[in-house]
Amino acid sequence: MKKRQTNKKDSLPAVPFRTRLHKDLMYIRRHPGMYLMIIPALTVLLIYKFIPYYGILIAFKDYNIFAGKNPLDAIAASDWVGFYWFEKLFKGKDFMKVLMNTLIINFEKIVWIFPIPILCAIMLNEIGHRAYKRLTQTVIYIPHFFSWVIVYGIFLSLLSSSGVVNGFLQALGFEKIGFFTDTSVFRGVLVFTEGWKSIGHTTIVYLAAITGLDMELFDAARVDGAGRLKQIWHITIPGILPSIVLMLILKVGHILDHGFEQVLLFYNSTVYDVADIIQTYVYRQGIGRMEFSYSAALGLFNSVVAFVLIVGANAISRKTLHRSIW
Amino acid sequence: MEKKSQTRRPSGPPRGRQDKMVTAVSYVVMTVLGLVCLLPCLHVASKAVSNNVAVTLGKVYFWPNGFQLDSLRYVLTETGYVNALKNSIVVTVIGVAGSMLITILFAYPLSEPQLRGRGVLTILCMIAMVFSGGLVPTYMVFRTMGFLNTRVALIVPHLLSIFNLLIVRNSFEGLPDGVKESARIDGAGDFQVLFSVVCPMSKPVLATVSMLYAVSYWNNYFDASIYITKDSLKTIQVYLKNVTADINSVADALKSATGAAISSDGMIACAVTLTVIPIIMVYPFVQRYMVQGITIGSEKG
Repeated sequence: MKKRQTNKKDSLPAVPFRTRLHKDLMYIRRHPGMYLMIIPALTVLLIYKFIPYYGILIAFKDYNIFAGKNPLDAIAASDWVGFYWFEKLFKGKDFMKVLMNTLIINFEKIVWIFPIPILCAIMLNEIGHRAYKRLTQTVIYIPHFFSWVIVYGIFLSLLSSSGVVNGFLQALGFEKIGFFTDTSVFRGVLVFTEGWKSIGHTTIVYLAAITGLDMELFDAARVDGAGRLKQIWHITIPGILPSIVLMLILKVGHILDHGFEQVLLFYNSTVYDVADIIQTYVYRQGIGRMEFSYSAALGLFNSVVAFVLIVGANAISRKTLHRSIW
Repeated sequence: MEKKSQTRRPSGPPRGRQDKMVTAVSYVVMTVLGLVCLLPCLHVASKAVSNNVAVTLGKVYFWPNGFQLDSLRYVLTETGYVNALKNSIVVTVIGVAGSMLITILFAYPLSEPQLRGRGVLTILCMIAMVFSGGLVPTYMVFRTMGFLNTRVALIVPHLLSIFNLLIVRNSFEGLPDGVKESARIDGAGDFQVLFSVVCPMSKPVLATVSMLYAVSYWNNYFDASIYITKDSLKTIQVYLKNVTADINSVADALKSATGAAISSDGMIACAVTLTVIPIIMVYPFVQRYMVQGITIGSEKG
């Protein structure tokens, strides 16, 4: 909102161009420090973001990394091939497979995991015993701070063929399950571990939203004789609905670029068919097999679609909720 | 009857059968969730300190069986854990310091409504936030710049998080104008205003953001796994991944070096436990600021 207002001021037609330019120069002369401060951040963005944008060109070239003095120089020296790599990509059978895997895995994650933190936050809020509430909060929040490598280590320990889970299954007379090798359960492992790591954190995000609600509403509802369930249904849920919708929109916006590190750590060649997602495929083809141009083409496809999804999701959220990530 | 008693007490514990059900269900479900989060960790830690035979036979559940600390000690001293821990600490400390400096310096001009060129800068940030050059082009740039096998490669990717930048900018924007103005009237330059007035007033937000940065440096696995091949520079995340990936060769090396035979299950449990310990040690501190950060984040919108 603020941004829009200042923009409007900047573009007021009443101010002639030369006066504006003069004002700009005056400001810059009076505040050189302000512009010095920007330099480090712009340098970082240049190295990590904007120069790589130039590297995207290799998706349209037959890139030979040894064609120049260094890998960047080699980009200009390589021949243009137009959309050759994209054609190869879209005609190949791998593309559909990794695209579908990405969509299915992230869709399953949303369906199974998304509602849980909302319910948890509401229930956590119902716990009257303060110390117990704080203890629960502390415990469920811990996995958020574990890296994916740690989560992988923990679940490897639990789910391996000699692990405790298979031990229980055998004791109960069931067959062992190859959690990391069976294509029919592997996605389940991904969904479960994602939930295990993230539910506590998201619960606390919603809990913060609930805590921010106007307590007088609850008091008034109590006076009117509303029980706990009615208060939850008529006050809590409508109150945190904007947060819920915003979260959902963001999740959908990231449906193509979520879960890379997790899959990279958890998967192995026996489950590629169900687990290989766009980014892991780009990684294996690009860094592993040095198919730079081919994987850059897929990477570009991924970035563009992800960009459209995120910007679109954000626009929807701004329109409907007047809230956005920026 | 119940309704009448409620009207007399506008707040307080639940009343009525339904309310009590809600409370009971809440306690049960949240306890179960807490156990689901806690028990896997407890299981792994128990394995790490249990007798090797018990671990191999799968007789360890959520409490140590035949307590011993030898396995932990061997893994601690013989598998490169200490060096990896040191690397992670170095990267995190330097990284957080650099990130905070860059973020604060950038957030301040962005928070000044009069700044010329603010719109352009904001748009640049938005582009950087939502559009990534992709894995392969970024790798090319790092290779060209000679970042491979240096700590720079582990720090640069996390130096500036646009999300964190926006949190700091919003907090700077929220400060009362009068304070900055009076400092300026007293003759303070832009840097002075920033470091002696604006930053001290934003301490809680800055603490939270430095936590967010610390977590991103500490937990990063991917950058370390592709940009670093030298053993001496490996971070704790790569260390743990390597132990789990070649558990058998690690166990063999350990056996020939020390004569101690530790089962592969026990080794993994030890390595995981050792990696978790530093996090648990700083957790109370981190948690406080992170919860605060969430509240800031939700006010942001």
